[in-house]
Amino acid sequence: MSAMALYFRLIRVAIQARMQYRADFLTGIIGVIVMNVTTVTLIGILVTRFSHLNGWSLWEVVFLYCLWLLGHSLFSLFFWHVRALEDYLVEGTFDQFLIRPASPFILFLGREVQYLGVADAIFGISGLSLAYSNLDLHWNATKWLFFGAAIIAGTLIESTLSLMIACISFWTGRSRRANNLMMQINTMVQYYPMDIFGYVFRVIVTGFIPVAFMNYYPALMLLDKLDRVGSLWWLAYMSPVVAFLLVGITSVVWRLALRRYSSSGG
Amino acid sequence: MKIFWSFTRQAFQFASVYRFNFFVEIFLTFLRMYGIYWVWRILYTQKPGAFGVDMKQMVTYGVLGMALQILVWSRVQWYMASQVKSGAIDTDLMKPLDFHIHMLARSLGETIVGGSLALPGLIFSFFVLGVSLPADPGTAVAFFISLVLGFLVIFHLNFMLGSLAVLTLDIRHISWAYNSIVRFFGGQLVPLWLFPPTLAAIANILPFQSTFAIPMSIYIGKIAGADIFRALGFQLSWMVVLVLSSRLLWTWAHRRLVVQGG
Repeated sequence: MSAMALYFRLIRVAIQARMQYRADFLTGIIGVIVMNVTTVTLIGILVTRFSHLNGWSLWEVVFLYCLWLLGHSLFSLFFWHVRALEDYLVEGTFDQFLIRPASPFILFLGREVQYLGVADAIFGISGLSLAYSNLDLHWNATKWLFFGAAIIAGTLIESTLSLMIACISFWTGRSRRANNLMMQINTMVQYYPMDIFGYVFRVIVTGFIPVAFMNYYPALMLLDKLDRVGSLWWLAYMSPVVAFLLVGITSVVWRLALRRYSSSGG
Repeated sequence: MKIFWSFTRQAFQFASVYRFNFFVEIFLTFLRMYGIYWVWRILYTQKPGAFGVDMKQMVTYGVLGMALQILVWSRVQWYMASQVKSGAIDTDLMKPLDFHIHMLARSLGETIVGGSLALPGLIFSFFVLGVSLPADPGTAVAFFISLVLGFLVIFHLNFMLGSLAVLTLDIRHISWAYNSIVRFFGGQLVPLWLFPPTLAAIANILPFQSTFAIPMSIYIGKIAGADIFRALGFQLSWMVVLVLSSRLLWTWAHRRLVVQGG
C-alpha cells in the first residue's frame, strides 16, 4: 500500500473513532466558535474605536485573522496530536509505530484527527467571505491560486514548527511547554498585524519562527499592501518557499530524532 | 486555620514542581505584556489621550490585565473535574476540612504561584515599558481590597463550574467558552469604556468585571473618589451572591455525586 493510501485509511479509522462521542463534538464546536467570536469582537472594538490599527482597517484585520485561522484549521484537524508527541514517548506507545511494516512517520500522523478544526474552518471561511465583500475585493485567477497556496503553506508552517519542537522530547522527554511558547508568539501574530510590534519581534517571526508567513506576508500581496514593507516586497510571495524549506528541515530533524529514540519500555 | 494553610502550601508545591514550566510561564507572561504594550502604544500614537486616559495609564491597564490573567488563573475547576472522573473525590470528602474551604485553600496556593509568575514580568514592565505605580497609598489600598474581592468572585465562579463536573463529567469545552466570556466581559484586554453601549450595559451587570476591570481601573485612577466605594460595593454584593449559590450548588451536587470505581 502506498504511503498516501495508508495515511487516508488511518485517517478514516481515526474519524470513526472520534464520531462515537457526538455530544462531545457539539460542545467542542460551540466552545471553539465562542472563543473565536470573542477574540474577533475584542480586536474589532479596538480597531473601530481608533478607526484603524496602524493603517489596517477593521475588515483587513478580520482578513488577517481568518487567513491565519484557515491554515490553522487544517493543522488542528490533521496534525494537532503532533504537540502530544511527548505522551507517546513517555507512555511508550511510540513503540507500536516502529514495529509495524510501514513508515513510522505516516503511522504517527494518521493516528488521530482533531475534529475541532472544523469549527475553526467554518469561522475562517465565514470571516474571509465577509471581509472579501466588505473590502470590495475582486481577485484574478493568480490571486485565488496564491490564496490557496498561502493556506496550504500556513498549515505546513505551523505543522512543521510544531513537529520540530515536539522532537525536542526525543532528547529531553518534554516539549509541550516549548510548543506553548511557539503558540503564544503565533497568537500575537494572529491577533494583530505584526508590523505594530518592535523590530526584534518582527525579525523573529520572519526569520526564526516564521509564523508571519501564515497570514501577514501573504495578506500584503492579497490586499495590495506591498508598499508597507518597501524593498522587502518579495517577502509577500515567499510563504510557499518558506513552507517548502521547513518541510525539508523537519524531515532531517525527524530522522535524527528517530535515531536517538530509545523506548521507555511502556 | 492551620489545616487551611497546609492545603494552600500543598497546592503551591504541586504547581511549582516543574521548574522548566515555571520559566516558560514567566516568559509567556513577558511576551503577553510586550504584545499589549505595542498595541496601546500604536493606538495612542494614532489618537493621543483618547477616551480621557493617557498612554501611560492605558499601557498600565494592559500590562495589569496580563498579570491578573495569570494571578487569578485557577485550576480548581480542573481539579474537581479530574477528581470526580477518577473517583478520588471520595478521599477529598473525607478530609478534615469543609470541601468548599479546602478548594479555597487550594486556589489560594495556586494564586500565590500565579503571583510569583507574574512578578518578574511586572518588574520588567515597570522599568522598561513605563508602567506606573498607583498614584497614592489610598489608591493602592483600594486596589488591594478590590483585588481580593475579585479573586473571591472568580474563585466562586470556578468552583460552581467545577461542581457542574459532577453532572457532566467533562467540562473541558464548557471551560473554553467560559474563559473567553470571563475575559471578554471582564475587560481583561479591552477596557469596558471602549465597548459599544449594548455590550457595555451587559458587562456592567455581569460579575466578571470584578476580577479584571474594577481593580485595574482603580489602579490607574479611572475609578476614583466616591466611585471606588460604589465599585467595591458591587464586588462585595456579587461575592455574597456567589458564595451563597456556590454552597447551594455544591450541597445539591454532592448529593447527586456518584463515585465511579474509586
